[in-house]
Amino acid sequence: MNFLSPLLSIQSFAAIISFIAAMLVVVVVIFLVITSSTEEDKYSVKHKVYKLRSRYFFALVICIVAGLFISLRLLPYAKFQSEPDETVTVVAMQWAWKIAPGVTDKNPVDFTGGSEITVPANKHIRFVVTSSDVNHDFAIYNSKGLLVAQTQAMPEYHNALEYIFPEKGDYHILCLEYCGLAHSIMSGIIHVN
Amino acid sequence: MLQLNSIDIKKQRKFVLVWGITFLIVFPLLITLGLLMRLNQGEEIQLGMDRFYTLMTLHGLGMAGVLYSMAFAALWYLIGTRHTKLNLGLGYFVYFVVLLGVIGLAYATLIGKFGAGWYLLYPLPFKGTNWPAWSTGLSIVSLILLGVAWIIGILHVVYALAKEYGGLTNLLGWQYLGKKNVQRELPPIVMITTISLVPGLIAYLAGAVFLFMNLFQHFEPALSFDALLLKNLAFFFGHTLVNITLYCCIGWVYALLPEFTGREWKTNKVLVYSWNATFVFILFAYFHHLYMDFAQPLALQYAGQFASYLSAIPATAITMFGVITQLYHSKIKWGIIPLTFLIGVAGWAIGGFSAVVDSTIAINKVLHNTLWVPAHFHTYMLTGVVLFIFGFLFYLSHTKEEQEKDKTAKIGFWLFVIGAHCFIATFYTGGMNSIPRRYADYKGIPINSTHTTGALLAQIAAICIGLLLIGLFIMYGSIFNKLRKGKNIPMVPSTNT
Ligand code: HEM
Ligand SMILES: [Cu+2]
Repeated sequence: MNFLSPLLSIQSFAAIISFIAAMLVVVVVIFLVITSSTEEDKYSVKHKVYKLRSRYFFALVICIVAGLFISLRLLPYAKFQSEPDETVTVVAMQWAWKIAPGVTDKNPVDFTGGSEITVPANKHIRFVVTSSDVNHDFAIYNSKGLLVAQTQAMPEYHNALEYIFPEKGDYHILCLEYCGLAHSIMSGIIHVN
Repeated sequence: MLQLNSIDIKKQRKFVLVWGITFLIVFPLLITLGLLMRLNQGEEIQLGMDRFYTLMTLHGLGMAGVLYSMAFAALWYLIGTRHTKLNLGLGYFVYFVVLLGVIGLAYATLIGKFGAGWYLLYPLPFKGTNWPAWSTGLSIVSLILLGVAWIIGILHVVYALAKEYGGLTNLLGWQYLGKKNVQRELPPIVMITTISLVPGLIAYLAGAVFLFMNLFQHFEPALSFDALLLKNLAFFFGHTLVNITLYCCIGWVYALLPEFTGREWKTNKVLVYSWNATFVFILFAYFHHLYMDFAQPLALQYAGQFASYLSAIPATAITMFGVITQLYHSKIKWGIIPLTFLIGVAGWAIGGFSAVVDSTIAINKVLHNTLWVPAHFHTYMLTGVVLFIFGFLFYLSHTKEEQEKDKTAKIGFWLFVIGAHCFIATFYTGGMNSIPRRYADYKGIPINSTHTTGALLAQIAAICIGLLLIGLFIMYGSIFNKLRKGKNIPMVPSTNT
């Protein structure tokens, strides 16, 4: 689930902090170039920088621990999922999606399904995703074109992806793992009502 | 300190120039492939899907291979002229085998239409392909050639250094951790070379296993391997290759920057601990490529995020603060060489941060395989590794005074840097807007805004690439101009370390 929504998408969050970090780097570079025009004894420089460094080190360790602590509770994996309200089977093939409600014990090659499906809003939907040939990636985009959830579709493996659709309307499925020639036109639709 | 006569130094210099000139020829060709891809994504030209993926594959494999090879050659030169004797016959053998591999790949892609991508995910090269089976076979054999050449090169350098410094543990700096006084100082470049190349060796061996499995599949179609296992092997190989290319470059930054600041940069306990930690992080970080494989054991997913986060500690607290200690109040003259190093470290920092962001599982689930991924690795390759390599090439071609005065080089450099960062910004913006990576074009995306944003960004990128190419050729002018005069050969190796 998006830990920031609806205020800010995860993507915007990532972009903003990366941008701030990049600007910080630019500031440090400019600072170094400006200050390099004067001379100071290298031992006293070392002393000063090392003092700063140990502060930086502790700040960084705290950030890392906090970052791990917060983010590692937001994992998309099975262990972190709840009981689904509905289950949908997804089989990827070169170059189409086969989607149908329910679980199946059919061989992925023989499995039949369409490229569209209808699911209810605000319910736990579990997508059981696999592939009948090469690697693909089942990615769900909302109507605004934002990627909201994904899992790889790998032959011989079943990946369970859980998602609660917050709004009614059409979501789109794109393939996000390069799977050969027609990879970029391999799409499907999820109708949410 | 190694004592070489000037004839031997000249020979080593000629050797590294052979690599350097090969690099300078191949690099803009591969950039042109990138330009064509962006033009196709911007719907300015029509390559067709098959040609797009062929060019993408050659671009990715070519860039990764050529940059690693050049980084290795630069280290070879600095080590071979300063720290231990290296065998040039073997060096040229490595060169020709690499060349053979590159020609094989170019043939398999451009003529044979092989297009499985630079990290080829089993069983893609064997299913639903639009290229003949021989080009898959040729690609695999060519990659094996590259791997063999690199393994031989690494073994020679590490073996020669181990003999010189009395064993592998001394190369890792462990003698600094005991109570005893250190008998012989270990130059940081030697330790960093070891810590880049030994994980590289392990990864190339894994790569060899991967490639041979693919080769068996090629000859025996009835075989079937585990796709998850092969994906692990592919990324252990691919990620580590790209990762250590950067660390190799950091090796010569440690060695060369002090020549311009006049401040020594020596090995000590902290440096040893931090680089040995890096050794471990290099080996485990690749798991972050498999976060979206929910079937991967959970412990490995955690390992990926831990290793990726922790690698920031030695990189920033030790190396980047080391650069600050070098430069702060140093009264350095900003010639082109220290400039490339400073701006290169900045690119590494920026790309590194956005990589750490993406290595957060909770974030990766919406950035994985979007343009964010090429964004971050182009940042530390194009505005990191490539700048370090140019720093090294300027070091080969310019004297200390020349590199201070060379205005042309600086103009070219800044055009290149600005063009490159703007080009990369189109990738980041694409990632932020969920534009998928590895899409020949965005016409098939049923969401209109995603299609148009993707195409627009690609058009802007093409302009930035033009700018960067102009800067690149201006730098070429400066390097070839100085090389042709050739008066300053050989540069006296520094006695700093
Ligand atoms: C100006 C220089 C460069 C340009 C214009 C360029 C352009 C591109 C483009 C357009 C893509 C495809 C992105 C996508 O839609 O997935 C790409 C992918 C890639 N580039 Fe570059 N690139 C440049 C430099 C580099 C460098 C220096 C490296 C060094 C490693 C590199 C390595 C790669 C790799 C490994 C891929 C992925 C290929 C794949 O997905 O199979 N590129 N590049
Ligand atoms: Cu695909």
